[in-house]
Amino acid sequence: MIQELFFILPMLTVLAGAMSLMLLSHKKSISLKNFNFIALFFLLSATVFEFFALSNEESFYLFNSIFGHSFIIDKFATIFDIMFTLGATLTLLVNSDYFKSRSYFSGEYFSLILFSVFGMMMLAHAHELVTAFISLEIASLSVYALVGFHKTKRVSSEAMMKYLILGSLTGAFFMLGTALIYGAVGSTSLDAISLYVNSTPVKEMSLLIVGASFIMVTIMFKIGAVPFHSWILDVYHGAPYPITMFMASTFKIAIFAIALRLYLVNFTSINYIWTEMLQVITILTLLGGSWLAISQTLVKRMLAGSSIVHSGYLLIGISSLGLGSDMAAPAIMFYLLAYFLSAVGAFGILSFIASQSRQQMSYNDFKGFAVRRPYMALMMSIFMLSLAGFPSTIGFLGKFYIFTAAIESGQILLAGLGIMTAFISVYYYFKLIAMMYFYPEIGDVKILPINISTVIIALMALAVIWGGIGTSLIPFIPGADSFIDLAKEAIDSLQ
Amino acid sequence: MIENILTYIIFLPLVTAVVLGLVRANLTLLRVGAIGSSLATLGLVLYTLSLFDPEKAMQFTLSKTWIQNAGITYNIGLDYLSLVILLLISILMPLLYVYMLKESRKGYWYNMMLLQTGVTGAVLALDLILFYLFWETMLLPIFVMIGKYGSGMKQYNSMKIVLMTVLGSMSMLFSILYIGYMYFETHGVWSFALFDLATIEFDARTSIWLTAGFLLAFAIKIPLVGFHTWMAPAYGSAPTPAVVIMSAIMAKLGVYGIWRFGYTLFDNTLVYYEPILIVLALIGLIYYAIRAITEDDLRRQFAYSSGSHLSLIALGIFLGNIYAWGGSLYFIATHAIASAGMFLIIGLTYHRFRTLKIIELGGIAQGAPIFTFFFAFFALSIAGVPGTGGFVGELLIIIGAFKESFIIGVFTATTMLSAMVYIFWMLQRTLFGSAKNLCEFKDLNKKEIMMLTPLVILLLVTGIAPSLFMPLFEPGLLGALR
Repeated sequence: MIQELFFILPMLTVLAGAMSLMLLSHKKSISLKNFNFIALFFLLSATVFEFFALSNEESFYLFNSIFGHSFIIDKFATIFDIMFTLGATLTLLVNSDYFKSRSYFSGEYFSLILFSVFGMMMLAHAHELVTAFISLEIASLSVYALVGFHKTKRVSSEAMMKYLILGSLTGAFFMLGTALIYGAVGSTSLDAISLYVNSTPVKEMSLLIVGASFIMVTIMFKIGAVPFHSWILDVYHGAPYPITMFMASTFKIAIFAIALRLYLVNFTSINYIWTEMLQVITILTLLGGSWLAISQTLVKRMLAGSSIVHSGYLLIGISSLGLGSDMAAPAIMFYLLAYFLSAVGAFGILSFIASQSRQQMSYNDFKGFAVRRPYMALMMSIFMLSLAGFPSTIGFLGKFYIFTAAIESGQILLAGLGIMTAFISVYYYFKLIAMMYFYPEIGDVKILPINISTVIIALMALAVIWGGIGTSLIPFIPGADSFIDLAKEAIDSLQ
Repeated sequence: MIENILTYIIFLPLVTAVVLGLVRANLTLLRVGAIGSSLATLGLVLYTLSLFDPEKAMQFTLSKTWIQNAGITYNIGLDYLSLVILLLISILMPLLYVYMLKESRKGYWYNMMLLQTGVTGAVLALDLILFYLFWETMLLPIFVMIGKYGSGMKQYNSMKIVLMTVLGSMSMLFSILYIGYMYFETHGVWSFALFDLATIEFDARTSIWLTAGFLLAFAIKIPLVGFHTWMAPAYGSAPTPAVVIMSAIMAKLGVYGIWRFGYTLFDNTLVYYEPILIVLALIGLIYYAIRAITEDDLRRQFAYSSGSHLSLIALGIFLGNIYAWGGSLYFIATHAIASAGMFLIIGLTYHRFRTLKIIELGGIAQGAPIFTFFFAFFALSIAGVPGTGGFVGELLIIIGAFKESFIIGVFTATTMLSAMVYIFWMLQRTLFGSAKNLCEFKDLNKKEIMMLTPLVILLLVTGIAPSLFMPLFEPGLLGALR
């Protein structure tokens, strides 16, 4: 019992943080900086507990006597927990300037972020469909509120309404799918579903397949795969930078946590049924995302469009899973990490600029940026190169693993299309680099202020490079390799 | 020391650049650092040359695990082929630094150092992913140098060269990944090391596709005709040092890629592609020459001239006999030196006259005899006048072509003729006649003579005494052909 409490400690810490921030938020005497500090404290201590929990090798159900099989503790979930808390930590750190510059932020904001992280952690641990749904809604509802946090701004409210309505609709699909699966299996526990799937002939479980497809709709919506993508540009555009960043990286990781668990464990024996559907969605996502990203003039919207393309690469990984690639699951996890680092970095720079100048940055506004802020421009270039998958950055290794997984599973054409869209993406990422470096300066030169945001961004740029080069060549320092090993262990821990 | 010497050669410029960047070096320190690193590299390369044994195939090899899970290794090595290009790079770099000595924009210097690491790494890499890394990395400095320090429609042209080259390298990446997977399928472990992958037996159909992936990358880099639309704009917009590197080194790397990776991995499949490639190279040879005749801008003219001669080099490789291969390798070296000299002196022309239009030049010979001598010398050595290195290379390739077939031989021989046409006509209009440009111009100063003389000497030595150099790579070539 005590031991189980130890493993639930990270979740409890985040929850306690969220609660206390919520209770404190009405106090005017606490400054925003202190709220940020409190949130960071809880998130970091949760991360520390997670690292302790990582040594746990076996999987077991949490408080079996109370919750039954609703929650599971395994390495897979713990690693995702680490990614969530670190993701939220980095998001808060990178944006500490942005908070200062905007008056509409308040204590609730941090509380909601923590609630959302709590929901994601529950989602990673969920081992039962209704629990998964509740966790997903906890995470999503917080994000809905966060998207519309700038209450007086029209774009922001519009984005919130769009996301709320469409998100709730697809949430209903999840519920419907769960109901159908319950109808077929007689239980919503993932154990029971596994048992049912493995013991029933395929022809007799059409109800379950329809139900699972409905669940897939929700997942596809949340990651922004193409037929369900229409919200992405407007919502990413309307939301404040910290939230865009949070949605694009951390929230997406959470969705893949549950998708991987379902796909790898419960529907392993029948996941070939969805392969063709997934392939079609992947093709649409890659092409549609590229199209959207090319045609944007605002950099924030371009990044939103390109996040669809990155979902497409991840979907290549998912469909490779269905075709029996061993590499695919670690590849997806590695890609999530790679995308997380590069996207948070890129959005971080945008938010940093926005915190200084209060303008929407279009491509043209970046003209002469390299003269004004040489180091910022350098870091932005590194993130762009990484997103484009240029070698010697972590983005290249991510794509490398995904594409080799696709080839391994025999999806040669899909790998080819992936490489083709990577080529297209070179255009819209390099365009930004060209804007920054190739045009004369218009405004005045500003020295880069050294503060917490810029230091974190610089560290992330280093991490991007380090992840791309590194390396077993230099002893004692873990390279990108070790994350793949960790991901493999995590996948092996899934039962 | 000895086993790591190639690593030092590759990374010395990059490390220098990073260190200088971290200490935020001022311009003087930057200059000293850049020139120092290039001289040190030259010293290391010459030392390597003294240890080089022509009878052995791959030397100074080093193989270390790099990314374990994917079987990517840090695998480098040197043989006769890479030695030639390595020597070229390390000889040209200090001269280029002398050329840009007055350059006060710091980014210029950093880019050149990064560029040196990129091209050197691509020549020495024996692991396909490592090669891909350097192949892409060397594009970045070129992208920045054209877009930032270029002239004309620089932004457009730099995007153009990047997109076209990346298209090629992406197709190559696809082939690399597929080959790596095929190795994994047969051996159960991942590996991207060239000599591991060479053991795979491909079936004909896959092999044709995979070869196409590689060939697209190399054809765009050379560029073979049809893949050349980036060439003239990029050469026209790029600053002189970048043009020199593009024409003297990077274009040769396309040929090198076919030689090293194409023939090691797909020697059987390339036979299937040979007729197409030979025809493409022949068309390129003649088409670029005609374009060169019609161009009225010096830099664009020599861009096309460079394309024409690179088609000749590529032709020599596809012919696949000892004369043609020997000629190609020899011509790689001598054309690099000659075109480097030519583009440098075109750069100097631009400094003096602020124009490169042939009609606006003329009468230089009266005012600047030394300038005229160097200009004419490099132009003639590009045309392949006997006594210069280019002649030896071209002659050998033409002999090889005649050995292959009479018709190919005849077409190949036209290259000498057509080159003579545009070179002499250009010389007549730019150097002689009456001056059409009223600006004051000076003859070459000591620094410029010092920069160009080594190239002249090299061209003369390679032209008069080819027997000095042939033994270096002849055993390797004979071995490779067998």
